Amino acid sequence: MHIPDGVLSPQVSLATGALALGAVGYSLYRLRDRIAERTIPMTGMMAALIFAGQMVNFPVPFLGAPVSGHLIGGVLAAAVLGPWAGCLAIALVLVVQCLLFADGGILALGANVLNMGVVGAWGGFAVLDVLRRSLGGGFRGTLAGVVAASWLCVMAASALFCLEFWLTLRFDPSPDAAKINMSNVLALMAVFHSVIGIGEAIITGGVVSFVIAHRPDLVTVDAEANGPARRSVAGAGRFIAVGLIAATAVAAFVAPFASQWDDGLVAVSEQEFKARASQESQTFVFADYEVPQPFGDGAPSPLWQRVSVSLAGVTGVFVVMLAAWLFDRGLRRRLKAGGAT
Amino acid sequence: MTGGYWDRFGRSRSLCHRLPPALKLLLTVAVVTAGLCVPVRFWPVHGVLAAAVFAGHTLARIPMSYLARRVGLFLPVVAMLSLSVPISQGFAAGWTIMAAILFRSSLSFLSVLWLVNVMPFEQLLVTLRRFRAPAVFVAMLAFMYRYSFVVWDELDKMRTARRARSCCGGMRFRWRQSIQLIGMLLVRAMGRAERVHGAMCSRGWDGQVRFLPDSRECE
Repeated sequence: MHIPDGVLSPQVSLATGALALGAVGYSLYRLRDRIAERTIPMTGMMAALIFAGQMVNFPVPFLGAPVSGHLIGGVLAAAVLGPWAGCLAIALVLVVQCLLFADGGILALGANVLNMGVVGAWGGFAVLDVLRRSLGGGFRGTLAGVVAASWLCVMAASALFCLEFWLTLRFDPSPDAAKINMSNVLALMAVFHSVIGIGEAIITGGVVSFVIAHRPDLVTVDAEANGPARRSVAGAGRFIAVGLIAATAVAAFVAPFASQWDDGLVAVSEQEFKARASQESQTFVFADYEVPQPFGDGAPSPLWQRVSVSLAGVTGVFVVMLAAWLFDRGLRRRLKAGGAT
Repeated sequence: MTGGYWDRFGRSRSLCHRLPPALKLLLTVAVVTAGLCVPVRFWPVHGVLAAAVFAGHTLARIPMSYLARRVGLFLPVVAMLSLSVPISQGFAAGWTIMAAILFRSSLSFLSVLWLVNVMPFEQLLVTLRRFRAPAVFVAMLAFMYRYSFVVWDELDKMRTARRARSCCGGMRFRWRQSIQLIGMLLVRAMGRAERVHGAMCSRGWDGQVRFLPDSRECE
């Protein structure tokens, strides 16, 4: 998930670095009145926890290969600490991973903080807060919010990476860069990340439901502890953030259809485009991910291939909703059995 | 992680280790930036940069076996990431971009790896302070570094306990186990943070972050 150096151009690295610096600075500014409180130990400890939690492997069945996934943690940090300290916690994790393990690039640090910290904590908290309020603020709302926010944030982060990569290609003068069809890259990323997002949603949902069962005060809305964090994202800002997150996630699905989107990148002649389209239908890569065509025979039509990419995504949404429902049921059973102690 | 450091070679006394910390940081950023800015067709420049990075590793006495292992873990991940460019184009374009990504990211990875192994973390904290990073951020970073070892140890113990008590089980079971492991770790970590805060308050914590003078911190 970490972007290494060498992927993004210096201009994009500089711009994302400035944005990330601004976001971290703003988070620190919002926390200025609470420094004397528990902010420093809680944030540092949360960062240490996410850092350790990322080392816990989750086995993933992938053609029999020993593939495993792990927690990302942006939404988890935001659910426990609120958006500002959550963003700082993820930034700390990324700084340590970069400067202690060489994991993730030093110039790409800004892009990583932006994609995981800012989108994960700020955006994730906004989604979580809106859903929590609309569902009544209880355990069920919190859980549904966390699960939805985790999935949406992974999708939004992948869309944001594609935007950064697209900008990088615009600065790249080589002829190969001009040939890249960006909507295909976006579609591939969306397919991969809709699966990664399901894993993240299950892990974050599970951890939060565990925490609710054992220390409900850590994640539920407590007027005193979470008061400033709640108030801080009230009003227009929250809805803008939710809108942005939802829009980037939706864009990932609409992208396969919007193949004219990248035509500003390079003026492709119609013939070239046709040649490429016919080539695509022969060697299209989503053969393994697409939903099989229900009618006709032989090679699937290009339109169906695009539909199937989005279908795969929509299926992902339903799986996530199902996961949220299952967690909710399991949690209520546990609360009934043992009481929320 | 008992009784050790993560930056294993950071505490020797080679020529590279004795350079001023700020210079090490700037050198690394300069090499990475140069590798990123120079177009691929000027490949001799990249060759010179790679030679410089390897010279740095040799001077810092970082074992080649360690480098080979780290690069061996790093390359497959970047290869998969960069391969997604030609894959998404139906293997018709994107090969030179893939090669550029692979080469540049390996070069940058090696130079950051050099920095990691010649600059102990506490030196980095002092350097960040010297670059006027916000005191609160540096304090949080120091706090995180300190407690990473504690949380890591706790995770290690819990994993050992898990291994001792479970032998088999399907994937669903293992996922549930891992989720509960992280959940328990979170509950304990937050409890510890609250206790630490209590201890800080009892020692007169007033929200003001104070640092020792550089010389004592470096030693």
